[in-house]
Amino acid sequence: MEKIREEIKEIVRQALASKEVDLILAWEKGQLWYDSYPAFFTEEQGVDSLVWDQFCVNNLSKYLLDDGMAGQKVGILVKGCDTLAFNQLVQDNRIIRDNVVLYGLPCSGMIDPAKVRREGLDRGLIKIKKTGDQLIFVNKEQQIKVLPTQVYYDKCLTCHYPNPVIYDRLIGEKVANETLATHAGRFSAVEELEELSTKDRFAYWDQQFSKCIRCLACRNICPACSCEQCTFDDSELEILGKAKENSEDKFFHLIRAYHVAGRCVDCGECSRVCPQGIPLEKLNRKLIKDINELYGEYQAGLDPSIKGPLVTYQLEDTDTFTAGERGRKQK
Amino acid sequence: MKKIAKDRLSLLWPRIALNYQLFLPIAEEKVVNFSRWEEGAEVDLATLKTANSPKDIIFPQTETYLNFKQEGKRLELEMAGGRKDYLVFGVSPCDVASINLLDKVFLDEPVDQFYQEGRQKGVIIARACLNPAETCFCSSFKINPALAPAGADIATWDLGDSLLWEAQSEKGKELTADFDDLLEEVSREEQERLEQVKTGIADQLKDLPLVNLDPDLIEGGLNEIFASEIWEHLYRRCLGCAMCTYVCPTCHCYDLKDYDGNKCGERFRCWDSCMFSDFTMMAHGNPRTTQKERVRQRFMHKLVYYPNNYQAYACVGCGRCTEKCPVSLDMVKVIKKLGGERNEL
Ligand code: SF4
Ligand code: SF4
Ligand code: SF4
Ligand code: SF4
Repeated sequence: MEKIREEIKEIVRQALASKEVDLILAWEKGQLWYDSYPAFFTEEQGVDSLVWDQFCVNNLSKYLLDDGMAGQKVGILVKGCDTLAFNQLVQDNRIIRDNVVLYGLPCSGMIDPAKVRREGLDRGLIKIKKTGDQLIFVNKEQQIKVLPTQVYYDKCLTCHYPNPVIYDRLIGEKVANETLATHAGRFSAVEELEELSTKDRFAYWDQQFSKCIRCLACRNICPACSCEQCTFDDSELEILGKAKENSEDKFFHLIRAYHVAGRCVDCGECSRVCPQGIPLEKLNRKLIKDINELYGEYQAGLDPSIKGPLVTYQLEDTDTFTAGERGRKQK
Repeated sequence: MKKIAKDRLSLLWPRIALNYQLFLPIAEEKVVNFSRWEEGAEVDLATLKTANSPKDIIFPQTETYLNFKQEGKRLELEMAGGRKDYLVFGVSPCDVASINLLDKVFLDEPVDQFYQEGRQKGVIIARACLNPAETCFCSSFKINPALAPAGADIATWDLGDSLLWEAQSEKGKELTADFDDLLEEVSREEQERLEQVKTGIADQLKDLPLVNLDPDLIEGGLNEIFASEIWEHLYRRCLGCAMCTYVCPTCHCYDLKDYDGNKCGERFRCWDSCMFSDFTMMAHGNPRTTQKERVRQRFMHKLVYYPNNYQAYACVGCGRCTEKCPVSLDMVKVIKKLGGERNEL
């Protein structure tokens, strides 16, 4: 990654110097090993602090909605999952494709600092090296070999688009899909929940949602949550305010899940940022799975020219409200 | 000083729970938070940082003030309140210090009666931090992780097979007497081990990456910091969520609202966050219209306004915002940008 990092910096410097773009969205390194965060580069000289490492997990596409971006030509560094989000924003008419230059970065997975801490690998950590398919955690006393599956984000372990699906310029070599754990495990947790009785499933989600502190980080990081005025910010809304109430916690999550249904690109950012570890991906993937089963395989954000199944109507669609039993699928 | 053998803790919990609502750090699917203890709960006294601070036990995220009911022309009002006795066990030194900071706000005139009642009904048992984490910087705020600040009723230290136990207040002494049958005297050897543990903590502190942070070095007064250019650069990546303020043990802003059920309803308060676009919304609109102003408000409050009012910073260096902010816009970066870092490595 170090080699590619230098290449990225050079490309970013040139793009800014030649005024190909006014601004580039990338990442910068903070005080601690895991701390790679979104950064905005406008000056060639500032680019030294740009970073590309195994902690550049933040999806930067949503910053394209910021007021400050209007009328600017913006460059953005994007991984595979980030490009799905980008495409979804284009499809939702929230950004204009031609105003953006995409620098695509193949990605073999990002490291979850929480997992590193849980494995006790953070103590005295100096650096993390990557050799072949192993990671080496170097601290003062020793070098510890670790398999990526032990420390990668869950979402990276089920990633099926490690390479950007859209880009203007690709930096680095594409990674082979097989280097990642596959697609297969994606719906297994959903299937487990489907096995439960309605009562137990309700109890499961009731318990999960009750942990929510309603910080809205999941909404704010979500590329599918791109409404100019979100209903949750409406202080007159009577069904939902800021009270930490069980019923409101449920309303919040169900409303959000249905608002992103069909547009959720499964980028996993909502689950990543949740401070309470609520498995939001299970909720979103349930909706994705149902859509796949009802309307055929669909991946939001893969191709913005294809309209999503929930915003189109075809005569042969299963209309579950009449054909099924009150919304339930026919067996 | 006393001690309690670790294998007796399972006897202690039900005893406490007889008379108190007992809150302990409890692990649930890898996330540790202070929750109500019940038989079989996975108590975790080893994890250093709970995801949330115990703030919500003392200052609940939502709290009813008043119930109202209309019958004909009569309007009936009924004060809520009436908190039960509770005990929080395993509070880290920084979190204890944060309660003292909340006290200054809520117990200052005019006294907040709900908060006051909550404080009077509560017992705080602290736990020293044996392994401060790399995201910790409590020492920047003159908190010693090896000790429990005043405000804790009992201090404890983990010696592996037992917890050393020392009462620090009247409440703490009474409680120590109540559990006398579960506690034992401490031997000379154990006293010495405690001293070693404390030295060990002090040694570890020296190696922590954020140890050079010193808010006293922040340059400029209120107006200069307010007008500083750093905000323009810092705010841009902020998502405007409330995670930093809700996990922070010292943030204490709240909103007052009604549930209006036509003929009956409830007035309640709930946490609010300066990061939200509708924070302090008034008839004319919002005084802070951009995220830049909101981010500035959060840090100005902690580093300038609060200190001006109460002669202390409203941050205890718990490092939760450092660890949790999805875009790493945390207290450490702001203090550094404002010049609050010693360069004597
Ligand atoms: S709901 Fe979650 S997984 Fe889906 S697009 Fe939004 S952040 Fe990504
Ligand atoms: S990020 Fe987690 S805690 Fe915050 S609102 Fe979303 S689900 Fe709730
Ligand atoms: S500073 Fe971080 S946690 Fe706080 S509102 Fe901004 S993005 Fe959310
Ligand atoms: S500002 Fe951050 S470090 Fe300081 S007390 Fe709040 S959460 Fe902890």
